[in-house]
Amino acid sequence: MKKIAFKTLGCRLNQYETDALASQFQSNGYELVSFDKEADVYVINSCTVTHQSDHKSRNFINQAKRKNKDSVLIVTGCMANNAKDELENRDEINYVVENEQKSSVYSLVDAHFNGEILHPSQLNTDLFSYGSTNKGFHTRSMIKIQDGCDNFCTFCIIPSVRGRASSRPLADILDNVKQNIAKGAKEIVLTGVNIGRYDFKNYKFDDVVEQILNLEGDFRLRISSIEPDGFGDKFLSLLDHPKMTSHLHLCLQSGSEPILLQMRRMYTLKKFKELIQKIRAIRSDFNITTDIIIGFPNESEQDFNATCNIIRELNFGHVHAFKYSIRKGTRAERMPNHVDERIKTKRSEILRSISEETKSNYRKSFIGKEQYVLVEKTDGLNAKGYGEHYIPIEFAGQNIQKNQFYKVLITGIAAGNDPELIGEMIQKKDA
Amino acid sequence: MNIYLIIRMRSHKVIGIRNLTSSTYVIRMEKNDFSFKTGQYITLGFTGSIDRREYSIYSSQNADYLEVLIKEVEDGLVSKKLKRCKSGDMLDVDGPFGHFSLQNEELQTKKFLFIATGTGISPIHSFVKSHPELNYSVLHGVRLEEEAYERDSYNKNQYILCTSREKTGDFHGRVTDYLKQNPISSDTVCYLCGNCHMIYEAYDILEKQGINLGPIHTEVYF
Repeated sequence: MKKIAFKTLGCRLNQYETDALASQFQSNGYELVSFDKEADVYVINSCTVTHQSDHKSRNFINQAKRKNKDSVLIVTGCMANNAKDELENRDEINYVVENEQKSSVYSLVDAHFNGEILHPSQLNTDLFSYGSTNKGFHTRSMIKIQDGCDNFCTFCIIPSVRGRASSRPLADILDNVKQNIAKGAKEIVLTGVNIGRYDFKNYKFDDVVEQILNLEGDFRLRISSIEPDGFGDKFLSLLDHPKMTSHLHLCLQSGSEPILLQMRRMYTLKKFKELIQKIRAIRSDFNITTDIIIGFPNESEQDFNATCNIIRELNFGHVHAFKYSIRKGTRAERMPNHVDERIKTKRSEILRSISEETKSNYRKSFIGKEQYVLVEKTDGLNAKGYGEHYIPIEFAGQNIQKNQFYKVLITGIAAGNDPELIGEMIQKKDA
Repeated sequence: MNIYLIIRMRSHKVIGIRNLTSSTYVIRMEKNDFSFKTGQYITLGFTGSIDRREYSIYSSQNADYLEVLIKEVEDGLVSKKLKRCKSGDMLDVDGPFGHFSLQNEELQTKKFLFIATGTGISPIHSFVKSHPELNYSVLHGVRLEEEAYERDSYNKNQYILCTSREKTGDFHGRVTDYLKQNPISSDTVCYLCGNCHMIYEAYDILEKQGINLGPIHTEVYF
């Protein structure tokens, strides 16, 4: 049996695509092993959204061949698009597969072991032809509904590496969701680059959400990362549906109006705040998580302080903060007044401290409340999983089973900078 | 074959170039089968070149040609090269992109205020050329009167030129000064296109004058 190892960097869309590829390889007789083990095939699903992502991707490329010099090394993902020439010139990489052909990696490897060398450009280029993720890495079942982005934020390389916005036909999405539910999926996660801009034959994002929520079955729906500008009141009205989870990752990027304008974001801070108010009017404990870019060109102390203040004010459940780094060809690359790295680092430390405090306070507010936890790991007596607010929860009980919902009373919180909630099992959901 | 991936990059032949000032010009290209919604932008560069820039479309969505308004940037790479292009040259167009668009249901019923600085007038020009029946006013902020690019395109009593460096315009000062001195009614739909500072300040002023957040649309120019 041949062994395959994956390393995934970056966004949830990449995670989904890796999951789907891993499932396909497993279904065809491959054994999935961890990336630090010897394997016959290594697939690096790379990211290029920041300088650090490039650095990590290069490190994993260096590591892969050291484990088995005879292995097949494939690099795909956004770095494969953005640095194709550089990667193709590296002898240790067998194939560089751009995002458009990523769904065909199995065909490429299959052909390779059958003595046929295909050039990746010969592969199928369907953005949505990934199979089921039932054998992948995650309990949650991700569904790709969209790819690409036309927003052209001034800092962002994604439109160049993921291409223009493209939406998957609604019927295909619903079929995919039904298949996953039939195979036992309990949590459906919608994924894409800019899912709020879903647009297929007059069906918008809220139509997709509504139709999935109306499907039969014991499952819950989670929206992953979404831009704050792409949806309206119809979507908000769906947030209190019993199958909808109480979590949205809304990408704010900065708490300063002038910086948001220079980033060419599609909303103002005031609109963002109004949106949060509307969401929390539906469920007051709704978990809003966000992304923040630190040290965008022209970011002054005043701008940065505005970001710190808004994190406190909006009580984010988690802040994914990263330092701005120049992406070649973007509008921000040509902006004046780039911020010194030392200042970015200092601001990062300040922001991390604020966001950890905010996260801890938010999570503590669940002590004494109940959550439905979908179990991802268990030994029968102790279990880990996520509640409907996408907070990690560890609890104790009897005969606990993986991929089942349990009603859990939250009794405490662990220590650390990403503290899990601690709970006690009340009952299995269907009991 | 990918049925979902749409390749939008196309080559368009240059029909002509029109110099409006020593640094600002309009490139007219064949439209071919390109379609867009007025207010959207394209990325433009010479065919085969990796250097591309974003420009709002200047011409009407109904015209049988495609135009962009470009200001030559002093140390710019693309705007300088484009200024030297000639009829018959091929340019690659990608797009259309953007959401700075008029709402169909408002065209006949609403009163519009278009506020622009410099070449930010480009999508406004496209709005007015595409929908000449609009009930609109244009507030155009420039430094010098010569930057009132093709002002004859607008009805004379619906175009207000604000000049900040000379007194030759309809108003001496910035567009934001004009707005402070001439409040607008709260039922106006506003479209702002220009530099960040203008948009930030104008947004604030309009909000204080009672314009709701919804009817203010913005497009940043750099």
